[in-house]
Amino acid sequence: MRALLLAGLVAVALCGCSSQSLSIRRLPDETPAADNAAAIKHAAELAAAAKQAVERQATEDASGAVTPLTAADAPSMYTYDPWERLNRSFYRFNARFDDAVFLPVADAYNRLPWPIRTGVQNFFLNLAEPKSVVNYVLQLRLRSGMRSAGRFVINSTLGIGGLFDVATRFKLTSDPTGFSATLARWDMHPGPFLVIPLLGPSTLRDGVGLLTDYGVSYEINVADLYRGNQAWALGVLDPINLRANNDFRYYSSGSPFEYETIRFLYVHRELIEDDALHAKAPRKARDPGTPAGR
Amino acid sequence: MLLAVAACWLAAAVASGAQPPAPLVPLGPTTDPATGLADSAALRATVYGTPPQDIAPMPARVPLQQIDIALPWARPVPEVFWFDRRLRVWLSAQDEPAPLAIVISGAGSDGNTSKLSLLRGALYGAGYHVLTMPSPTYPGFIVSASSTGVAGDLLQDSRDLYSAMQQIIAHLPHRVQITDVDILGYSLGAANAAVVKSIDATEGRLHIHRAVMINPPVSLFSSMGRLDKLFAISIGSSDAGIERLYQMLYARLANVYRTSEQIAIGDSDVLAAATMVLKTDSEYSAAIALNFRIALMNVFFAGDLYAGTGAVVDPKRPPRVGDSLEAITRALRTKPFSEYFTRVFAPYYLARKPHSTPESLLADNRLEIIGDALRSNPDYYAQTNSDDLILDQPELTWLEQTLGKRLAVYDHGGHLGNLGDKHQIADMLDMLAGRWTGSP
Repeated sequence: MRALLLAGLVAVALCGCSSQSLSIRRLPDETPAADNAAAIKHAAELAAAAKQAVERQATEDASGAVTPLTAADAPSMYTYDPWERLNRSFYRFNARFDDAVFLPVADAYNRLPWPIRTGVQNFFLNLAEPKSVVNYVLQLRLRSGMRSAGRFVINSTLGIGGLFDVATRFKLTSDPTGFSATLARWDMHPGPFLVIPLLGPSTLRDGVGLLTDYGVSYEINVADLYRGNQAWALGVLDPINLRANNDFRYYSSGSPFEYETIRFLYVHRELIEDDALHAKAPRKARDPGTPAGR
Repeated sequence: MLLAVAACWLAAAVASGAQPPAPLVPLGPTTDPATGLADSAALRATVYGTPPQDIAPMPARVPLQQIDIALPWARPVPEVFWFDRRLRVWLSAQDEPAPLAIVISGAGSDGNTSKLSLLRGALYGAGYHVLTMPSPTYPGFIVSASSTGVAGDLLQDSRDLYSAMQQIIAHLPHRVQITDVDILGYSLGAANAAVVKSIDATEGRLHIHRAVMINPPVSLFSSMGRLDKLFAISIGSSDAGIERLYQMLYARLANVYRTSEQIAIGDSDVLAAATMVLKTDSEYSAAIALNFRIALMNVFFAGDLYAGTGAVVDPKRPPRVGDSLEAITRALRTKPFSEYFTRVFAPYYLARKPHSTPESLLADNRLEIIGDALRSNPDYYAQTNSDDLILDQPELTWLEQTLGKRLAVYDHGGHLGNLGDKHQIADMLDMLAGRWTGSP
């Protein structure tokens, strides 16, 4: 039955719904007044962070603890993508699946009252804390690991199974990590660009990280949620929650070069994160002729 | 690769209207030469847009529907554009009968940009049904709605828009009751809006009442020429300039995060940060020029593919759906608009417009083609800025002389840098309602 359902969804995705001459899709309401109020708040936070970053940069420059990168340290602007043809077909499949299945479901989900959606999101964030604890330990970031463990205990109890994020009120803010970040800490390159079916743009390192994180969560098996029928419910609700909270829309650029754009953004953002992670390590020379990620 | 254009982050940020509060790097006296095309304030306003605290009052909720429609005259869809078969527009409908405001996006943009979102909010809040449409230079429009596939001809593009509008309005849900129709647009969409109204004055299918142009070009090709020049001055005309810009941006962005406690970077953070590390006029110019160049790459590629002119695509072996487009993007990113004109646009239209010359094609793309209507019809309005970098002084003077009191000229804002601002929105609504009495 489950296999049939999956096959049906894949068939719908492959056909897409773009064969109809007209479709009208109701989207969640826009909330411009609230969005602008949030933008004002975010602008103030960014200004404060910017000021802090400039001050910190001046201090670090003076102490010599962090050597600033120069233009010569930038990786090549071309991206390592040896599986391009396969990646492109997965990208196309994901776009069709998104249009035919994922987005309509996510749009419907977004019409649920916000307390329900927030509760679901908090629940999954809480469920991810144990694998964050494991990875923080592997990264030797024990303080962050303690914070993550504290969040899990508080939210699982006072937060009623993670539905409420009580820990943030105790100044234990969410900062999830995973095995990809652990591999990055161990100095592993992002590797080739990779498009994962249904999940989207990634790198080999992120793909391995994702699988390992799932394995860790499966082994920990909080409240027996990763076994039996509840695992299926989890496997359906988690991606819907993720999709509903992600604004990315395949081919909203309308551009035939969108794949190249996303590849560039994804891999180079990851490289900047890696450079940030190893800020205090000696700089390594980069060969400008080697595609980024290789 | 396309945005291999180094600062694709930065172009994406400008395009998405990401609005960081201030440059992250302390602003000192600029050492780079000024571009000579716009002053610092205009460049910064163009990049950062209206600060959120200056945005006009917005409604709490705006309903939104996405409409995908296949148009009967659509040309065969090239394989690489498989996702653009249907025209996509967005509708926000009132519950009761109301006037319809049709809003056309700027060059290369779709019908749901952050700028359109601002206009949609303001118009819906003022009681309009709002239909937002892509620019006829947006690839999705070129593929699904253009009758030529070669974008950039003001009259032809506007005719295509007009035809598409008729189809869309005919298919709107029955509960959407329209009492009047007005049209607006920003940037290139502004010129399209005015020309659509003038076509409607002859054909009378939509009965468009008023048109408001927001930061319109007077001549598409001279505006694009200015942006080509901006690109050449601030980035250079070869790959090396693009590589230099990319390396500079990468190092600055990485340094921001190296001294930050934040290591994981959110999608919107990196875009905001990319604009925040800009320092000099030359870098602001590069961001703006790059944004237009990226839009041009799509237009160039689609035009070349449809017209079979062979400038970057071999007409006998067009790229297929799974093919890498890397080589094409590398070729395209150094090509200015002038090359699109000489290698794709002019060959295509010269062959189809008897007795035309390159000079007549250029002249046909000036707002002057509807100059009489703009001068004599009181239902055309426009808003612009005295420092809009797509206009030169003679063009601004032409707008002032042509529209008279129906033109609002603001002192500052660059190109669209004050869109959504309280004054701009209040004046726009006054114009649409026929209440506008003169300069702000």
